[in-house]
Amino acid sequence: MTRTPLIAAFLGAALVLTACGGDGGDDTAEAAAPTTRSVTADNGTVQVPAAPQRVATIGNTTQPYIDLGGKPVAVTQVVESTLTKLPADQQATYKAATNVGDQEIDLEKLAGLKPDLILVQIDDAGFKAIEKQLTSIAPTVSWSLDTEWKEFADAISEAGNTSAALSQQKTQFAEKVAKIKETYGAVIKDTTFVDIARAEWSDPGTFYIADIGCSEIARDDIGLNLPEAAAGQDPLAYANLPYEQLTSLSKYDVITYPVTAAGQPTVPFAEVANLNTWKALPAVTSGRALGVFCPGNNSYGPVLQYLDSLDKALATLPAKE
Amino acid sequence: MTVLAVRQDGPGTTTVPGPRRRLLGLVIALVVLVVLLVLSVMIGSTSIPPSVVWDALVHSSTGIDQVAVQDYRLPRTIVGLVVGVALGLSGALIQALTRNPLADPGILGVHAGASFAVTVAVGLLGVSDVQGYMWFAFAGALVVTLMVLALGSTRQGSSPVVMVLAGVCVGAVLGGAREALQLTDPDAFDAMRSWNAGSIGGRPLEVVWPILPFLAVALVLAFVVAGPLNAMALGDELAVSHGVSLARTRVLAIIALTLLAGGATAIAGPIAFVGLMVPHVARWIAGPHQRWIFAYSVLLAPGLLLVSDILGRVVLRPGEIPVGVVTAFVGAPVLIALVRRKKASGL
Repeated sequence: MTRTPLIAAFLGAALVLTACGGDGGDDTAEAAAPTTRSVTADNGTVQVPAAPQRVATIGNTTQPYIDLGGKPVAVTQVVESTLTKLPADQQATYKAATNVGDQEIDLEKLAGLKPDLILVQIDDAGFKAIEKQLTSIAPTVSWSLDTEWKEFADAISEAGNTSAALSQQKTQFAEKVAKIKETYGAVIKDTTFVDIARAEWSDPGTFYIADIGCSEIARDDIGLNLPEAAAGQDPLAYANLPYEQLTSLSKYDVITYPVTAAGQPTVPFAEVANLNTWKALPAVTSGRALGVFCPGNNSYGPVLQYLDSLDKALATLPAKE
Repeated sequence: MTVLAVRQDGPGTTTVPGPRRRLLGLVIALVVLVVLLVLSVMIGSTSIPPSVVWDALVHSSTGIDQVAVQDYRLPRTIVGLVVGVALGLSGALIQALTRNPLADPGILGVHAGASFAVTVAVGLLGVSDVQGYMWFAFAGALVVTLMVLALGSTRQGSSPVVMVLAGVCVGAVLGGAREALQLTDPDAFDAMRSWNAGSIGGRPLEVVWPILPFLAVALVLAFVVAGPLNAMALGDELAVSHGVSLARTRVLAIIALTLLAGGATAIAGPIAFVGLMVPHVARWIAGPHQRWIFAYSVLLAPGLLLVSDILGRVVLRPGEIPVGVVTAFVGAPVLIALVRRKKASGL
């Protein structure tokens, strides 16, 4: 907050410089009358450039925008564990952008990059705190954290003008879902599944039942019989379960667990996979514990990778006797 | 327990139970501890019939419930026993050494050193599991306590008051540095969030074995210095006149309590109240003799820890509350009740 006067002064100076047209490279853009579109998001209806050229992505919008082929000029920090799961070209795009912060955004640096559109998905309180500053820099479109991933992809695409890429991804998604349902429909019809995981932030000696994230897609789109929290209750994933609770997984026919792109249990989950209790589970002893790679679930690209991995995992499922 | 407690017969006078009663009390405490050890293996966040638990203990069965008992409950109970013994004895030592009934190992910087070292291990070195950062915790506790010992030593020798002040100051500095590191590193913050709560769940026995020799040495040292600490309780001059080496006793006591508290913290994270409360109870039962206080602390502290852990496992099924949270919830009111019932035990 103490930086606000400094930011205001900087923005004022930036506006003056922009009006003077000091940068010859911008002459063409300035000469052409900007075409705008209306986009409705959680922060209301916003006029955005019809074809934004200098997009800044803040919070969770970075990866989905890059996934749609976007090349942001400014990004906020993407955690290492997420970044390493991105395809190489997307990692390169991310690294080519200017990093404007993590928990705290460097608004001066952001303003200096002269974005023509800012896409934001952070917590509501965090957005409210910087909304004025962001909108003074460029048209800002913001979504709350609980936006459903498909709606989010649609919205990012609409604001960022990447509809062709989105359309292609949606087609691929529909085809993969249809193929999995058709191929394994008979096998999964009477099979009970549970998806469990353990993350870097899990308490020592605990795991959780992953009823949100990629397993939502397996449950809602593919039709796997996966447990979920009762209506109005917190997701099952919010409860850290002690390893002793692994015994309760005996009732499920199939257990899915997180693996890396190479098929190895993720580092946090490896601890579970080494437990004798895990090794004694019926699903594990019968070869029905399936490692599935879930690189993310907030845009179609990683979801398509997840579906590929799920497809391969289901193919190893022995036919139910 | 009431029969054996030190009785306040009037202002300034106390009746100390005789050796037979103290021994009887010790046997009762041992029996209670054994019962709690059995309950700790029998009770958990899942319902496993006692016959299955027994089967798991005496046979090498491969049933899922039996394996869970061997894999999870048995190590947890052993960890609880070891950590409890270490915390109780280290608390008794620090209270005897500083002649302060409100002292616990934390005031010598043990927890601060361990927490700082774990934060460095997680945040800067990328260590991610308990087996990895327990050594950092242990080393951090040892190094910081030695630092406090050095800072607390003057030309006239080591003074408990100066040492406590040094411990508080070093703890404050390291606490600030730890907070700064955690604020800049979300991974370290996440790891420390659960470690700071103090838990004996999910710790494999591989975490205990390397620490055990240090604890065994400390246990012996504690009982070696128990006699000199008795003499020192009467005053330094009187202790010296009885041939006690103040410096040697203090150094050995500090080494012992640091190994005990550092080892316990390395295994389970910081667990409050056990080291503070149990020696009080031990003194009420056994009177002012340090060997008896130490012996009672060795039996009562794991009992308190195991009761708290069992409660933490059942009240929020299927989840659990870390034992460090429960000891604070259970320990604080119990200590207040005891203090209100009897005069706080002096040293």
